[in-house]
Amino acid sequence: MSKMILDFDPVLCCGCGACAIACMDQNDYDPKTGNAPFRTIFEDRELKDKPVFSHYSVACMHCSPAPCVTACPVGCLKKDPETDLTVFDNTDCIGCHSCAMACPFGAPSFNAQGKMEKCNGCYLRVRYGMEPACVRVCPTGALRMVTEEEYEKNHSDHSLIPNAREISSHQI
Amino acid sequence: MATKEELLKAKIPCPETGIEIRHTLCDICSPGSHCGIDAYVKDGVVIKIEGNKNHPLNRGLLCTKGASNRQYIYREDRVRTPLKRTGPRGSGSFEPISWEEAYQTISEKLLGYKQSFGAQSVFFFSGYSKWYRPILQRLCYSFGSPNYGTESSTCFTSGLMAWETATALPARPDMRNSRLFLGWAHNPYYTGYLSARNTERLKKQGVKFIIVDTMYTQTVEKIADLFLQPRPGTDGALALAIANELITNGWVDYEYIEKYVHGFEEYAEYCKGFHAGNIEALTGVPCEKVKQAAQMIHEYGPMSIRESSAPLGHHANGMQNYRAIMALSAITGNYDRKGGQTPAPFTYTHQSSGYHTWEHKFVREARKSSMAAAVGAQRFPLWNELEKEAQTMDLARQIRQGTPYPIKALLAFGMNFRMFPGSDQHMKKALEELEFFVDVDLFMTDTAKYADIVLPACSSFEREEFKSYPGGYAYYTKPVIPPLYESRPDTDIMCDLARYMNLNDPLLKAGYRACLNYILSPISYSVEQLQEADTPLKVPEFHPHEEYATISRGLNTPTGKFELKSELIASHPEWGLDPLPTYRAPYEGEDETLYPMFLTEGGRLPNALHSRLHDVSWLRTLRPKASAEIHPEDAAAHGIAEGDLFELSTANGSITVTALISRRIPRGMVSLYHGYREANYGNLIHQDRLDPYSGFPAFRSSTRCRISRKGEAHE
Repeated sequence: MSKMILDFDPVLCCGCGACAIACMDQNDYDPKTGNAPFRTIFEDRELKDKPVFSHYSVACMHCSPAPCVTACPVGCLKKDPETDLTVFDNTDCIGCHSCAMACPFGAPSFNAQGKMEKCNGCYLRVRYGMEPACVRVCPTGALRMVTEEEYEKNHSDHSLIPNAREISSHQI
Repeated sequence: MATKEELLKAKIPCPETGIEIRHTLCDICSPGSHCGIDAYVKDGVVIKIEGNKNHPLNRGLLCTKGASNRQYIYREDRVRTPLKRTGPRGSGSFEPISWEEAYQTISEKLLGYKQSFGAQSVFFFSGYSKWYRPILQRLCYSFGSPNYGTESSTCFTSGLMAWETATALPARPDMRNSRLFLGWAHNPYYTGYLSARNTERLKKQGVKFIIVDTMYTQTVEKIADLFLQPRPGTDGALALAIANELITNGWVDYEYIEKYVHGFEEYAEYCKGFHAGNIEALTGVPCEKVKQAAQMIHEYGPMSIRESSAPLGHHANGMQNYRAIMALSAITGNYDRKGGQTPAPFTYTHQSSGYHTWEHKFVREARKSSMAAAVGAQRFPLWNELEKEAQTMDLARQIRQGTPYPIKALLAFGMNFRMFPGSDQHMKKALEELEFFVDVDLFMTDTAKYADIVLPACSSFEREEFKSYPGGYAYYTKPVIPPLYESRPDTDIMCDLARYMNLNDPLLKAGYRACLNYILSPISYSVEQLQEADTPLKVPEFHPHEEYATISRGLNTPTGKFELKSELIASHPEWGLDPLPTYRAPYEGEDETLYPMFLTEGGRLPNALHSRLHDVSWLRTLRPKASAEIHPEDAAAHGIAEGDLFELSTANGSITVTALISRRIPRGMVSLYHGYREANYGNLIHQDRLDPYSGFPAFRSSTRCRISRKGEAHE
């Protein structure tokens, strides 16, 4: 299977948050009960001659290579060999937050038991030919899951991926 | 290879996990949507949902609200059994009873009131959504009461009445064939995501967009070629000024007007009162923008116009404003034109799907000719004439005053006193005073706590139902899980009550499926065939719009034409209503010194739909607090910072809300979402702030207000 890219275009996003709800439904968590959301929705506001709004939906950027994988002392994080998405098994997690310190995007969060959780790109759904829950629901097409080849061939000028790559390259 | 445990955690539908995908629909929001759902079911439990890719409407997508269906249907406060009230009204003290006992009690009570006070003393109410409405309406008429009334007394119908006044038919925009879209109160990013996609597609294809909105919405950011920002409730003046500009420049279709439009001269004369000299003062929109709008309408035809269920209707002058806006389609020859506003007779539950059913016949044939006038008939005569059902904005008054006759009992399906203007001081009091109140709901709502008997209804996941979709589609769902607890479909409850009361209506007593097979007589498919298909089917009887066919045949208006001047209204001078789409300023008679700001209510949020999602915690995390939006300069002037608590007061009451400071809101305006238990807008508006034409409450421009800081927010 090809390396997969979870791409996001802020120009298409309207900040509706459907992706965040689909993520909660897929991953069975409720921020009300203390779990931080895997995906964060926000609006950036500037005032020029008129108000300018930018909308973002941000989760794990699935860096390649990923600083969190290097940082984890107990090997909870790894790159999925089939999809190259950054996946985790928190059975051995000691709650040291090293991954969170290493992550330039604040993706890892910690559940009530102190164990790390984050977006895993719905890698099993992807392996089974389905889209991640957030991509599947996104009504404006701002989120998409594509192979690296497809991404390099065709992506929006506003795609967050080049920024993410730039930022994470400084981190490693 | 993934382990079974991993596959289960990832909810992969496959033989190893035993997770199955079953199809249903979402009925959280407007029947104009009701998107197809794929429910992931494991051992009789829905464990995940997503959009159905094979559904012709949503093609796999869902909105924020729809994505929350699993938490919605499994809400903790689902009513589990029929309940009988044991404590004072509103206390929430109930004891479980059997369905048998509930039905017996309700039947005896309702038949008793019928015998003692007449069938009209029993009111049949429907909240949202609409899927069961024809069944309830027939139950009401078969019982002998004229008093079938719904939440559509505050939503959608005002615009429908504007169209009925002008053309005797509903209409819809043929947006996909337009070159110009007049998006009056059009922000589909928050209300109808599928329309947002269409809007973006058309924008890419070169369609021009005029967006008219009181707020700087996502649609203004992303789509507008021209943005007009009137103050709430001044839409009519703006539309009349645009018309005046079109007429002055000769940019109207005189040939079309001559053939198909009635009352043009008087209307044109009236429009002259809305001009460069006064339009900015009346609406806040600079005259230059009015001229630009007229220029665009002239240059880019055909033009279609956004149809609006709430934002344009929720004003004391709402229906007249709506008429003024839609008059633009008549004078420019865009009505019944390809790419313009097209006549759209209803197929089922207010949906225009391009084929005919016997819904209307099914309802009307049960209606007795000798029934009393429905609630609201005297106060809202145009409503009564056109809609022939109760105007529920007069229900609380009639319960409390008992005139012109007493209302003794209320059988409600999904009622919320907070959605009525004057919630606590009027509707809640009416529920306290009412003799017998039955509320059917999914959830133990604050309104249900006032009921004598509460019956548990089930969600769209737990029942079967008929649904029609645009483009000629018919769908009949299968339940994806059995009803939760002891809940039943609303329609079963209605048909069971018809049996218990032994009404003379064999069809209703035969059940929902039999009723639907009768209603669907004009189409080739039976309920059984539709259900077997498990997906919406295109009905062979589908007729797409034929350009000019309707208007050239003659409309069912008194003159047979598009009536700018309503001869129906003109023939009833005793109503005191204007035949022309005249304009009256909103916020009339309010003290500007005491209440310097404008309050508007109901501007949509992506994560809320009236009150029904306020208790769905996933969605609530997107905006946890009951918040009101204010402009940064107003916030600064009152020393209010983002997240502070402030008091919002009107002549009718005060509530405390959290500040959300936003440049989407114009200076001088406060925007509040509705239905919050802890900050209910309904208490800020007086119950008599109603549109005399439609009876609609003036939610969006009801009242002026003032704000004052109360302190920092605390958890």
